[in-house]
Amino acid sequence: MKGLLKTRDKNPEATLRELFAGWLKDGKLSAILVPAMSGSGAATMALISDPDKIQDTAPLMPAMAVNAASVIHDIAKLPAEGVKVGLLLRPCEMRAVVELVKLRQVLLDNLVLIGIDCPGTYKSAGFRDRVEPSDGTCEDAEQGVKGSRVQGLQDSNPRTSSLSDFDNNHVRNQQEQYDNPDLRTACQLCEYAKPMVFDVAIGFLGLNPDEELWVESANDKGAALLEGLEVAEGDEPDKRVKYLEELAAKRKANAAVSIEELNKEMMGPDNLVRYFADCLNCHNCMNVCPVCYCRECFFDSDSFMRSLGEHVMISKRKGMTRMPSETLLFHLTRMNHMMMSCVGCGICEDSCPVSIGLTPLFKKVSRDAQAEFDYVSGRSLDEELPLTTFREDEFKTIGEE
Amino acid sequence: MADFEPRIVGFLCNWCTYAGADLAGTSRMQYPPNMRPIRVMCSSSVDSVYILRALLEGADGVFIGGCHPGDCHYVSGNYKARRRMVLFNSIMRSVGLDQDRVWLRWISAAEGRKFANTVTEMTTAIQEKGPSEFRDKWDV
Ligand code: SF4
Ligand code: SF4
Ligand code: FES
Repeated sequence: MKGLLKTRDKNPEATLRELFAGWLKDGKLSAILVPAMSGSGAATMALISDPDKIQDTAPLMPAMAVNAASVIHDIAKLPAEGVKVGLLLRPCEMRAVVELVKLRQVLLDNLVLIGIDCPGTYKSAGFRDRVEPSDGTCEDAEQGVKGSRVQGLQDSNPRTSSLSDFDNNHVRNQQEQYDNPDLRTACQLCEYAKPMVFDVAIGFLGLNPDEELWVESANDKGAALLEGLEVAEGDEPDKRVKYLEELAAKRKANAAVSIEELNKEMMGPDNLVRYFADCLNCHNCMNVCPVCYCRECFFDSDSFMRSLGEHVMISKRKGMTRMPSETLLFHLTRMNHMMMSCVGCGICEDSCPVSIGLTPLFKKVSRDAQAEFDYVSGRSLDEELPLTTFREDEFKTIGEE
Repeated sequence: MADFEPRIVGFLCNWCTYAGADLAGTSRMQYPPNMRPIRVMCSSSVDSVYILRALLEGADGVFIGGCHPGDCHYVSGNYKARRRMVLFNSIMRSVGLDQDRVWLRWISAAEGRKFANTVTEMTTAIQEKGPSEFRDKWDV
């Protein structure tokens, strides 16, 4: 099923809350993972099971602390009995989940994949101040149309209400997101604003979200959720298709510019060493990466434990070695291990304490690498992971003179 | 660069190239002594980390020898190694490093001559390139 769902009371975020609360009440879902702002003001996610708590969630909150796929990897690796959990996922999060499923790190049996459009997100650090500037005004909220609250889902908490205005305005002012310089770098370079894989998809891009939302089910699992809703069935409206095309073109152009800049400062042995010169070897980038799935990284394993004597031996090779050692080795190896599944979410860069430009770098490297195999990470559940398969009749020039 | 002696690290599959190297030796074929051979169980067991570590520690070249396609003793190891080489080359190009310092070749246990010729060829090719840029870079 696909078509348009009417927005209640010009409030897209409340409409979604109401939809999710309904799924919980009907027992269609046991719980649902949704963005939420904590009482202390952290932009995070919540696994919500009590429909009465739904007003504390913020399905449209444009802030990203971690890629939700990392959380799902932690909670949905093992089989479960008798629960069905919905996951509200942005396109890059969905793509990472798809990769993890193919890597056999996530079991889909108890999950319902709910994809949602994303015009771009802000860093979670400092997001609260964007929503509630310290002078008490909320600029974004005043620019846009203030939506009234849905009856019964009324919100007495002032934080949640200014957050709701912020979230709604973010999806209303879609033209502004084309080149909103405050979005996370990864988002400014991202061409995938709508989910490619899903059980149910929810969309607002190219539409007036105060009036209508796009809903679509891809299979029976998804159709079960949409059952009973008043959906005006039809194809994706032209204006939506057009907006998505324009956004993708704009973002591709941004990516091209950023990669051009990157090439000037990163290419070749000297530049590459300089690009990573400040790296602390903290491995944050790896720990937060949704598709870097090993429980123990090879680099943290005994294979990399060296005796003092070995260190001295290696030092003798060049006369001196940098400490901590092998930082560039870590990054180049990580590229070889992960680039086929990198979804360009940029969470690695956000977590880097010394602000190394990992987003454009991995964008370039992963795109080039995936192109070799005509693969796009997270595009489909059926496409085989390039490194787990082969054809006898391919790449004939490799290994021959 | 006539007096430059390249240091090449060779990862040789136990079932084919390593035996090929042995044959070259026992047949007293002449070839340059620039490759330090390391015996591995299959070309597919040479993870990128070992190639990269050799390169970053200053090796001028890395050679990987495996069984001919279809002949891998673990059925498909060399086909997978081939794919990983495609990826490796792509990454090397993306970051502006020289992929031609790394050679993958299929050499069987019977191909002592091919082994000797390949080592000669590679040594010459690396000699022409000159020493690795990482030879004196201590701050990698
Ligand atoms: S490498 Fe960075 S951009 Fe790519 S998936 Fe991992 S965290 Fe996201
Ligand atoms: S997060 Fe930054 S400093 Fe830490 S290992 Fe990654 S690149 Fe290096
Ligand atoms: S056993 Fe020789 S390449 Fe696999």
